[in-house]
Amino acid sequence: MMSFLSSVNPGILLVVVGLIAVLLPWQRARQFALAAAPILGLVLLVSAERGVDLASAQVLGLDLVLFRVDSLSFIFALAFLIAAFLNAIYAMHTDDALQDGMAMAYAGAGIAATLAGDLMTLFIFWEITAVSSVFLILRAGTKAAYQAAMRYLVVQVLSGVLLLNGLVYVYGAGGDLSLTAFTSFSEPGAMLIFIAFAIKAAFPFLHNWLQDAYPKATVVGAVVLSAFTTKLAVYAFARMFPGFEILIWIGAVMTVFPVFFAVIENDLRKVLSYSLNNQLGFMICAIGIGTPLAINGAAGHAFAHIIYKGLLFMSMGAVLYRVGTTKASELGGLYKSMPWTTVFCLIGAMSISAFPLFSGFVAKSMTMSAVGSGGYTVVWLMLLFASAGVLEHSGIKIPYFTFFGHDAGHRVKEAPFNMLVAMGLAAFICIAIGLPMIGGLGYGWLYSLLPCTAAAAADVCLSSGEPIKVYQPYTLDHVITQLQLLVLAILAFMTLKRFGLYPPEKPGTILDSDWIYRKPGFGLARWSAEVWTKLGPALTRLSGVLAQRTFDRLEAAFSPRGALARGGLTTTMSVWAAVLLGLVMLIMLVV
Amino acid sequence: MTMAPERDENGRFMKTEPEARALPGSDSVHPLSKVLFGWVEHRRTPRLLLTVVVLVSIGLFSADFILDRHDYLSLAETTGFYAIWGFGSFALAVLAGWPLGYLLRRSEDYYGEAETRPKDTETGE
Repeated sequence: MMSFLSSVNPGILLVVVGLIAVLLPWQRARQFALAAAPILGLVLLVSAERGVDLASAQVLGLDLVLFRVDSLSFIFALAFLIAAFLNAIYAMHTDDALQDGMAMAYAGAGIAATLAGDLMTLFIFWEITAVSSVFLILRAGTKAAYQAAMRYLVVQVLSGVLLLNGLVYVYGAGGDLSLTAFTSFSEPGAMLIFIAFAIKAAFPFLHNWLQDAYPKATVVGAVVLSAFTTKLAVYAFARMFPGFEILIWIGAVMTVFPVFFAVIENDLRKVLSYSLNNQLGFMICAIGIGTPLAINGAAGHAFAHIIYKGLLFMSMGAVLYRVGTTKASELGGLYKSMPWTTVFCLIGAMSISAFPLFSGFVAKSMTMSAVGSGGYTVVWLMLLFASAGVLEHSGIKIPYFTFFGHDAGHRVKEAPFNMLVAMGLAAFICIAIGLPMIGGLGYGWLYSLLPCTAAAAADVCLSSGEPIKVYQPYTLDHVITQLQLLVLAILAFMTLKRFGLYPPEKPGTILDSDWIYRKPGFGLARWSAEVWTKLGPALTRLSGVLAQRTFDRLEAAFSPRGALARGGLTTTMSVWAAVLLGLVMLIMLVV
Repeated sequence: MTMAPERDENGRFMKTEPEARALPGSDSVHPLSKVLFGWVEHRRTPRLLLTVVVLVSIGLFSADFILDRHDYLSLAETTGFYAIWGFGSFALAVLAGWPLGYLLRRSEDYYGEAETRPKDTETGE
């Protein structure tokens, strides 16, 4: 029994529980199962032996490694399991079997993909994340959500198809599908797999599915979505493309451009979606650096981010649930009705802004140090700009315009108890892993889970050839410089507000690069369809006429009443027949 | 001398305004909100908050004159670098919102999706 349990991938367990939950009509039993599954998964993960294939299968002649843990996959899977547990608690006020089950199956697929030991298994669960997560958008029940879900599904499946194509090339070249890091784009399949990952990681110009779909998802759905897909892609990049220099620049651009969109966006769940993109940029940049410190930065940041971003989405979900909107122009003064939600949101905001004592600080400073020590001055300045930008949109804009600012007069009830419990636990983690080391508590726990430590280093840590060093986040220099950056940025906010220079929150749709396919692209598709509906019948008529004429001619020549039946060959025809026969003989002679 | 509380038409004592606000109701403020954030509404709060932030900013800026900071990049060792970069970046991001807003903002129904309230909200159905 124990040996069987030790070979169960916790992700697959969650997928199975999720699928069963869809069919369970009893709300409490279903919710108990959904909260218990991640805890059991956690036990399975922690007790799993590292660095060996724990479960394998042979399908169509391929050796699939269904369960393999190393220090890189461990920290991501752990964060996913914690998120799955928090999400299960957060969803307890609703009775929606399809949403509950699919949320768990989606989380499970993300975990199973992280703990996969080969590309084919990764691909299978990669696709299951796409198919299961779309329900979290569809269940919102609006026309806008339905359309966004369809766009989301197309993009996600495209990513899977590219991954499948890429792995076919990899298999064709070496006959091996193990998750070995690429060393250059010239390797077979590397480019296709890179683009597949890039779509899920929401790289610039491939990012619109995220800002399109997440804000239209259900209250619970947006919280669940924020944790898995993009961080699975970050894990996949860390596994397969560490030290690829192009990632440094792509990551830096990803941190900067969402800042400008987030400033003018009115829907606060969309602001959080842009902020998500910005945070991913830090992780992608770190993976591009590829040193042990940078890989630790990416993994630690992903862990902290899954929790504090989930917390921020939870707080906005609670507001949406009670008030019915997350538009900044319609909110304000909610601290009067929702004090607990306000406190938890503020903790999430301070964590994402990387204030000392909060999780973002101990995670992000590793990336900043890795970029700085690598000598990438421009990239480092971009990340520093983006750090101030994060404070603007997630640190100040989200809590200020929702809970403080102009009182919009909403007097609602505090968030449901289960939501408060989920937010409280997330807030606790944000602080617990952000504190300095005091009596065994503090950031040390997070740092002990990092992929590149002296005790356990994943393969990717060794690719750069740099030694693994112990990192200290709480140095006087770090704390002072971070406070200088943040407090002076707050001063900028207050100054701009005081002089009326802060742009007011206005309702509206902000155009992004998806305009290209949603307006001209869609227009072209509609025009083509219009043309085809008119051209189609015309072409059918034309082919009918041509067929009729051909038939008439043939009939006139070959039918019993036709020209050939009426008499022998004419002079011209006999001459041509002789010429053709002569030609055939000549060809046969030559050949 | 304190006035006796007013009575309603049924002869019951009516609550004074502060008492009424403390109770849960359609226009009430959560009791915890008063404890945690009561200071927010105070008349002097904005000025006091600004003063505190200005003083802390001055303190942090002047720390650069006292501390011998070491950084990965020589540029970052310049006096007041992080403070200036933080203030400037924030101001740039916010001020860019004015032209970008004019350039990129369209009506809420631009893509035909003005209604995005999911059905799992309390007021959704």
